[in-house]
Amino acid sequence: MLIISNLVTEFASIKALNDISFQAKPGCITTVIGANGAGKSTLLRTISGLERPTSGSIKWFDEELTHKSVESIVRSGIAQVPEGHAVISQLSVAENIELGGLFRKRIARGDLAIATKEVYELFPILFERRREPAGSLSGGERQMLAISRALVSRPKLLLLDEPSLGLAPLISAQIISTVNELCKSTGLTVLLVEQNANTALAVADHGILLALGKVIANLPAKELIADSSLRAAYLGY
Amino acid sequence: MDSFLTAFFSGTSQGAIYALVSLGLVLVWRGAGVVNFAQMGQAMFTTYIASQLIQNDYSYWSAFVIALVSGAILGAIVDLGLMRPLTSRKNSQLLNSQSMRTTIPVIASLGILGVLKAVAGILWAGEERGFPSPIAANALTIGDTTLAITGFDLFVIGVVFVTLVLTTIFFTRTGMGLAMRASALNPEVTRLSGIRVGSVRTLSWAISGTASSLAGLLVTPKTNLSPNTLDLLLIVGFTAAVVGGLNSLAGSVLGGFIVGYVIAFVNVYSAPENVFLAILVFLLLALFIRPQGILGSKEVRRV
Repeated sequence: MLIISNLVTEFASIKALNDISFQAKPGCITTVIGANGAGKSTLLRTISGLERPTSGSIKWFDEELTHKSVESIVRSGIAQVPEGHAVISQLSVAENIELGGLFRKRIARGDLAIATKEVYELFPILFERRREPAGSLSGGERQMLAISRALVSRPKLLLLDEPSLGLAPLISAQIISTVNELCKSTGLTVLLVEQNANTALAVADHGILLALGKVIANLPAKELIADSSLRAAYLGY
Repeated sequence: MDSFLTAFFSGTSQGAIYALVSLGLVLVWRGAGVVNFAQMGQAMFTTYIASQLIQNDYSYWSAFVIALVSGAILGAIVDLGLMRPLTSRKNSQLLNSQSMRTTIPVIASLGILGVLKAVAGILWAGEERGFPSPIAANALTIGDTTLAITGFDLFVIGVVFVTLVLTTIFFTRTGMGLAMRASALNPEVTRLSGIRVGSVRTLSWAISGTASSLAGLLVTPKTNLSPNTLDLLLIVGFTAAVVGGLNSLAGSVLGGFIVGYVIAFVNVYSAPENVFLAILVFLLLALFIRPQGILGSKEVRRV
């Protein structure tokens, strides 16, 4: 269980996150929606340690994450897939995947091989193109690669930052449904940030609506989809 | 034909040394975003350590190994003791500007160079001293023909070749090598993969220190050793790195050999006093024709 309490993150005295509190249940997808500038990416970047919160706390079950380094947070099982299909384009597909599991190489070599095989089974196109530079992949393939890089670290919590950004609707729906199946089959917890609310809420158990750094609504996903007045007011459609 | 071979062989063995210097510069540039002007000062210092050990009756080879290890330690100390605290200070007005953040480490490296030269002067006096080579520097002969290459030249080429092969294997075949490439290309994604980018950066400084220390050991039998001898080598190595591409390891090595040949051919076919002019002209030409370097890639800036 991810427990966020009274989280505040400031950039030069502007509160990008203003007193945020919510919980994400294990084995489920929790979707965070909101317009541009609502603080969605800042939320994920604060959880993964890339940004330092001014106050408040982030806990994964009993483990306090608030002041840990990015590297230790990843090593305790929390993997972020940053915005914009973040892969290292000059490295090959296989090297990008290897990178995600590198820190476990000494402690769990056997499991690393299994995890690598699993992501190739999940996304067979990556196996076919494993020797090619990641820069030559299409947008959708890059997103698959970015997710695979995170998965080989065997995360318990996956933070996905706008995976559908810039992708064709069909491809983004496919990626989101793959993530959904993964949660069902492995018990992975996912915190999914999306601007594209409908696809993201359709697979989610719980939905959180952010606006200007504040939680506006914290509802079961079905209720959030149904609430057209909230959507009209904060998302504009 | 004789003068051509002379230039070719001397270009190869000198180019091999420039390649090491340039490799050292590129490693730190890629890994930490700093042009390390103290690099050859560090090499000068470790060569003095080797020289001192040899004077105290240590064997050449033990001095050689100790100098390389001190090169690595010195590189790591520069990063941990100076560069890291300088760039990671919070609440510093000066460091809030991006341009100062990139300039300060470069100026600091000039400071380190000054300190190393001064300390070397105090410890070992300023005058030139010789530095031994493990192999006699006589021209090789086959039958009655004297070749334009010495045993020491062959030794230099061999050592550098082995170093480059080991470096290539390290970067392409090991996990740590992958972590180093990834940190240089995209530190954020690398950190999000659970890799301690700070430690990887210190390792780049250490490897760079070792490479330049090796260059110092290989060049001083010909140039002698004083606190200032290796300054010229830094300039040539920097030219090589720019010509080859500051962000490409392979380019830095290629650049080293190219500059080695340019210098050797100017030396033989023109006059030694024109070498400096030739380096400068060559650098300008390279910057005009291919500013990102032969194997360098253009920086893509997204707006």
